[in-house]
Amino acid sequence: MKRFEKVKQLFIRNGLFIKLFSVTLFSILLVSIFITFSTIRVSTDLFMETFSITNSKIIQQITTQFNSYSATVASTINEIENNGVIKRVLSEEEMDSVTLSRSYFQINQELDRIYTSLQAFDANLIVTGQEDRLYNLSYIYWPVTKYYLDSLEMTERTFEEPRAINYHALDTAVIEDEVIVATKALTERLSDDIYGAVYVSIRESQLRDFYEGYTSEGNDVVLIDQDGQIISSSQSDLMGTVDTNLRSIAESTYLSNQEHTSVDIEGREHLLISEYLPGFDMYLINLIDRQQIVSSLINTREILMISGGIILLALVMVWFVTRRITKSLTRLVRQISKIAQHNFSERINETGGYESRQIAQAFNHTLDELQTYVGIVVESQKRQQRSELKSLQHQINPHFLYNTLTTVKFMVKQGDPEEAMSTIHALITLLQSTLGEFGETITVSKEIENTKNYVTINQARYGDRIKVNYFIAPDCESIQVPKLILQPFIENAFFHAFNQKKSGFIQILIRKQESRLLAEVVDDGDGMTLKTEELPHDNKKKRQLFSGIGMRNVHERIQLMYGKDYGVSVSSEIGKGTRITIELPIIDEDQHTDI
Amino acid sequence: MKKLWMMLFAVLMVVTLAACGNGEDEGDETGADDPTEGDIEEAPEGDEDDITAWAWDPNFNIRALELADDAYDGDADVELEIIENAQDDIVQRLNTSLSSGAMQGMPNIVLIEDYRAQSFLQAYPDAFYPITDYINVDDFADYKIEPTSLDGEQYGLPFDSGVAGLYIRTDYLEEAGYSVEDVQDITWSEYVEIGKDIKEATGNNMLTQDPGDLGLIRIMLQSAGSWYFEDDGSTPNLDNNPALEATAEAYREIMEADIVSMVSDWSQFVGAFNDGAVASVPTGNWITASVTAEESQSGDWAVVPMPKLEVDGATNYSNLGGSSWYVLNSDGKEKAAEFLGNTFGSNEAFYQDLIEEIGAIGTYLPGLQGDAFEMEHEFFGGQQIIADFSEWTDNIPAVNYGMHTYAIDDIMAVELQEYLNDKPLEDVLNDAQSQAETQLR
Repeated sequence: MKRFEKVKQLFIRNGLFIKLFSVTLFSILLVSIFITFSTIRVSTDLFMETFSITNSKIIQQITTQFNSYSATVASTINEIENNGVIKRVLSEEEMDSVTLSRSYFQINQELDRIYTSLQAFDANLIVTGQEDRLYNLSYIYWPVTKYYLDSLEMTERTFEEPRAINYHALDTAVIEDEVIVATKALTERLSDDIYGAVYVSIRESQLRDFYEGYTSEGNDVVLIDQDGQIISSSQSDLMGTVDTNLRSIAESTYLSNQEHTSVDIEGREHLLISEYLPGFDMYLINLIDRQQIVSSLINTREILMISGGIILLALVMVWFVTRRITKSLTRLVRQISKIAQHNFSERINETGGYESRQIAQAFNHTLDELQTYVGIVVESQKRQQRSELKSLQHQINPHFLYNTLTTVKFMVKQGDPEEAMSTIHALITLLQSTLGEFGETITVSKEIENTKNYVTINQARYGDRIKVNYFIAPDCESIQVPKLILQPFIENAFFHAFNQKKSGFIQILIRKQESRLLAEVVDDGDGMTLKTEELPHDNKKKRQLFSGIGMRNVHERIQLMYGKDYGVSVSSEIGKGTRITIELPIIDEDQHTDI
Repeated sequence: MKKLWMMLFAVLMVVTLAACGNGEDEGDETGADDPTEGDIEEAPEGDEDDITAWAWDPNFNIRALELADDAYDGDADVELEIIENAQDDIVQRLNTSLSSGAMQGMPNIVLIEDYRAQSFLQAYPDAFYPITDYINVDDFADYKIEPTSLDGEQYGLPFDSGVAGLYIRTDYLEEAGYSVEDVQDITWSEYVEIGKDIKEATGNNMLTQDPGDLGLIRIMLQSAGSWYFEDDGSTPNLDNNPALEATAEAYREIMEADIVSMVSDWSQFVGAFNDGAVASVPTGNWITASVTAEESQSGDWAVVPMPKLEVDGATNYSNLGGSSWYVLNSDGKEKAAEFLGNTFGSNEAFYQDLIEEIGAIGTYLPGLQGDAFEMEHEFFGGQQIIADFSEWTDNIPAVNYGMHTYAIDDIMAVELQEYLNDKPLEDVLNDAQSQAETQLR
């Protein structure tokens, strides 16, 4: 689970890279595969087109060869048929040796002359006549006897159709080759009597020479007769087999005048070009194994290898480039997300590519501006607070003055000038201290003096049923404190703590504790209910009796001046009294600073 | 950063170039493998070790070549390819090739009949490779040297003797009331009489003849110590030649006796005696292999000396055919000559094999002895035919074949038909003489 989380985290963190890279990967693969296959397809088609055109020409050329052979065969047979000597010799019956010798001699001379045209094709000429008369012009090519020839089916067929030249394929054990034999019966012009037969035989290997130079693996030539028997083929294992289907395709291709047709042979696609050989009454077929021809001429593997290589290279480059770009961006993002933790004070590293460097610069610039503005705001706020305080400080309540002066007037009227004097004196000192000095802070002893003056005035007005005691640690007297920090609490105790109880004590304690100055104002009055150790909010309606500074102000002022570690806290209990604790830093007179 | 780019670029270039290079290599390879290219070359040029030989008789001289291939024990590594061609074909193709000077498609070794040898040697002296250094000329029968050499250089390696005999069916003889003794040393007239009787008794003709082939005429002529030419080998000697007159008369006598089967080719010729259609075969000893090929006739044959003419100088001994091996002056000639020298030129044991396997009688004198010569042939009723042939060989009258034997043959074939057609013999020979003089001038 944890690992999964880790992987997920890794994905999220590298999200940009993964997205960019996979999009590029996908595009490159798509483009490469598409282009590769379309290239192969287009070139294959183009090649096959050219190939089939070339082959049609070649087939025509081969056809010419075959036709010239069949024409020679036809003219030879014709010449033999029209030759009177041959006719006479073949027709003769029962002769003595002398006549026979003459006949043989004459017919041999005639045949030798006629044979020369066939010799060019390496074909053999055999003429048979009455009895066992047989003239084999080149016995090496096809050694036969009259008896053997007569037993052949082709001879029978020849005599059945005496007017036609028929071609037959024959397997001969003697010469270990197939011979293709053109046969024709020799007939009397007038009576149609048959007096002999002509056999023009050519070895299949010889016939194959007509086209062998043009064939190659996957580019085969087949000679097929009307029965579908394969007479000659560059593919020797096809020889002698019967394929009527192939024949009918060849026929329809030829008749429809098509350049070529597509056929499926043994599950492989072949182009078929076909020509009809009228002399042979056979079809000459060119079979082109598409796949084999293409694979031998278009190196698919090489194209795929090159594409693969390019893809790989592109991917490696894309990987590095993308990684570089996204890595700096990712780092930037990570840094930015951490900025808040450092109070916007930390700057970002300006590294990486141009773009991310610019972004980091802009961001840092913004950060700097922000910092400046925040400083300005804070400063102006402080200034505002101080001026606020100052104005509060200067707001001596006119009622206070009025009441005090009225008290003094009564004292004088009652003839107690001593009392009046000291009260006036206390008022003067208090006002002097409050209004006169500009500094914010004063020493503890000065504050206590002010407090005493304030207490004196109050006691002069309201009698001394509330007594105030001072417990000041001697080492604290010279410590600086903000002006008028005790007065608001004394005032509070005087006017609110003793509503039920009519008399009591207020204790003021000032001492050092550890590195702080603790000032406490403790009364044993009515007490109050507090939710937390917070100062009760100043009642807006309840006007401050002496100046504008309330208890709440004191707390805020201390925090403004010294930070959140310092301030005022209150604890109170109904019927027992209230304790105010003021915590301040210890600041000696000489360290005094104007804030 | 720049470095990285340069590196990537370099890698790309290298890979691309390598791919291209590969492509070219593969192209070259497929080119070399293309079967059509290899097939254009003819066998002799194909392999250094290959030598090709042409001969015509599968029962005889082709078998002899096969035996020679087995017997060869020379240093060179020889692959012999033997090709069977009709003799006429060989002659025609040699003439075509040699006259054009193109040796392509020609064999290294070719068998040429002695009658024709001089016509080739004299017409194309550079086309043949002299083998004088590869054999010892004195080891061969004298009568074979003249037709096979030219200007003191030996060109042909003499092969078979060509000594002629009359192969005759003893069973047919018996049926007609004759014995083998009755056909020993007879005349052609006697031969005709016997033939008539045999035909009457068995219905079979006495012999076969191809009207276009005057082998029998040549046998008769040489048996009387005469030839178509004077001793110089070039002056026609046709009219006023008593031997030729006697020959023509004997030939006509045979023909008119109506005891001849006509054939028009070699296979019909062989077929006739193998089928038992004729009672005798007057020809060269090289026919032994073809005769014995028909095993069912074992014991029914005998070989006797040729019948003789009734003219001065007539003998019962003659010669027909006989051929010799020639090396063509083309690539591989040394190897071919070495092969011939190692086998036909010096190997006595090989000649014994030739006799035992195919009954071929060589003309290598050291090979004309040994057990094989005394061998009694079952097929010929226990006759020691090899010994007999050898004996007859010594008695063959020597003649000079010259270089135009077959040219005269052609003239004589036509004229003989005229003679059979009742043209007076004197006119026949006169006409032949004048034709020959015109043609050979």
